[in-house]
Amino acid sequence: MQAAVRMDEPELIRAAQQGDQRAFEQLVRLYDQSVLRLATNLLRSPEEANDIYQEAFLRVYKNLHTFRFDCSFHTWLYRIVSNLCLDALRKRKVRREESSVVETSEGLLDRMDAVEERRADGNPERRLESQELKERIQEVLGGLTPRERAVFEMRHYQGMRLRTIGEVMGTSEEAAKNCLFRATQKMRVALGDFV
Amino acid sequence: MTCEEARKNLPLFLYGELSFDEEELVEVHMDECASCRAALAREKAMFGALDGAEMIPAPGALDESRMELRRRLAAAGRAAQSSAPVRGANWWDKVREGFTIHFHFAPGIAQVAGAAAMLVLGFVTARMAPNSLLGNFHSASVMDPATSRVRYVEPVAPGRVQIVVDETHQRVLSGSLDDESIQRLLLTAAKDPSDAGLRVESVDLLKNNSQSAEIRKALVYALEHDPNAGVRLKALDGLKQFAEDPDTRQALTSVLLKDDNPGVRTQVIDLLVQRHTDAMVGVLQELMEKEDNSYIRMRCQKVLQEMNASVETY
Repeated sequence: MQAAVRMDEPELIRAAQQGDQRAFEQLVRLYDQSVLRLATNLLRSPEEANDIYQEAFLRVYKNLHTFRFDCSFHTWLYRIVSNLCLDALRKRKVRREESSVVETSEGLLDRMDAVEERRADGNPERRLESQELKERIQEVLGGLTPRERAVFEMRHYQGMRLRTIGEVMGTSEEAAKNCLFRATQKMRVALGDFV
Repeated sequence: MTCEEARKNLPLFLYGELSFDEEELVEVHMDECASCRAALAREKAMFGALDGAEMIPAPGALDESRMELRRRLAAAGRAAQSSAPVRGANWWDKVREGFTIHFHFAPGIAQVAGAAAMLVLGFVTARMAPNSLLGNFHSASVMDPATSRVRYVEPVAPGRVQIVVDETHQRVLSGSLDDESIQRLLLTAAKDPSDAGLRVESVDLLKNNSQSAEIRKALVYALEHDPNAGVRLKALDGLKQFAEDPDTRQALTSVLLKDDNPGVRTQVIDLLVQRHTDAMVGVLQELMEKEDNSYIRMRCQKVLQEMNASVETY
């Protein structure tokens, strides 16, 4: 039997665990937008974000039968996503990932032009200032440790509570809080003259 | 609360992560301390700047990710199907498992797993299905309008009906990329309107054989008409070595003027300006009138100046 039109989350999970494809699809749709957003902003690469999206939901699909409702599905999913993102960030540190700005034969081209920016401004002066700020922010975010980066991302852009972030990261709320302190402190130092 | 404590707590204060009592202490301290109020204002400004730096997925990225996921899950289903032992009563169940990995992320579009294989192999009638399926309506869960079609309905007894169903049959094919039949399948898959992910991968594989006129024609078609920028970029990759070919050059020119993706236009202009021709002047001048990407404008301007042409039309 296929999933009914309206099911609450636990029903969807149980139906998907029984092999109901439509239920699985609905479950994916509940969270996939925020997963892609998290990965895009965290990795600052549309291609890598898509890789994380694919791998995360494939893992969910393969391991859903092991989900025992001992935490929320959101926490379980984000644990998978954040682990994948942390691995990607760590690998990037090791191989010193290329910057988003690539040098072409005739000038610099920002690969992130393929990604939407939240604020667009027609004023050239403000655009330049905003560009410098964007570069500085990119720089400081790149300088955070993968763990600081992930905690900051989940708190600042995803609006997750520190307690949940702690659960997702497999640590305490206190440890997540300390990570956030360190991240914001580094940003305060780096962005001080811009704000 | 000391200034040091208040300032340490500013991010948690702004994130609403302090307890009621802690928040009270910070607020009381802010009322009394101008220097910490200024620090709070700076912290808010920093948060505002960070808000503005959020990278959000490009329009269409989510749809593309969903389509790719659907395709991958279908492939995972096919792999499970081909590795499962096929015997006796389990046979149909295994096949059914393979058939039912279908996702419906794009309403209105036929969602068919293994589209490439289907196009060649067509339908296998439900006569292949065991009688237990045809005689019991509880088995109708295998029915999916996207992958099944009712061929006949026939009343067999009062209150009973026999239904013959056409089902999509999937098969894994493998072969050399130089093989003509493989290439034909890839050419078909490269035009599958329902699956951008499939088109990206197919064009990516085809582009290595772009010496073939038929493949080159398909790449040009994809570059000019595919709605997905990822597919167009792959097609462009395959056409790079033919940038001097007149037909390809004409297609590149048309793409430069009409493609809405700056990444595609950037690569096209890099290709086109490798050789300066008089015909390019008008194109570049036309482009200068409407192009808003600074890199492309810079390239245009430079080439026009090198060719002693005005950067504007009059």
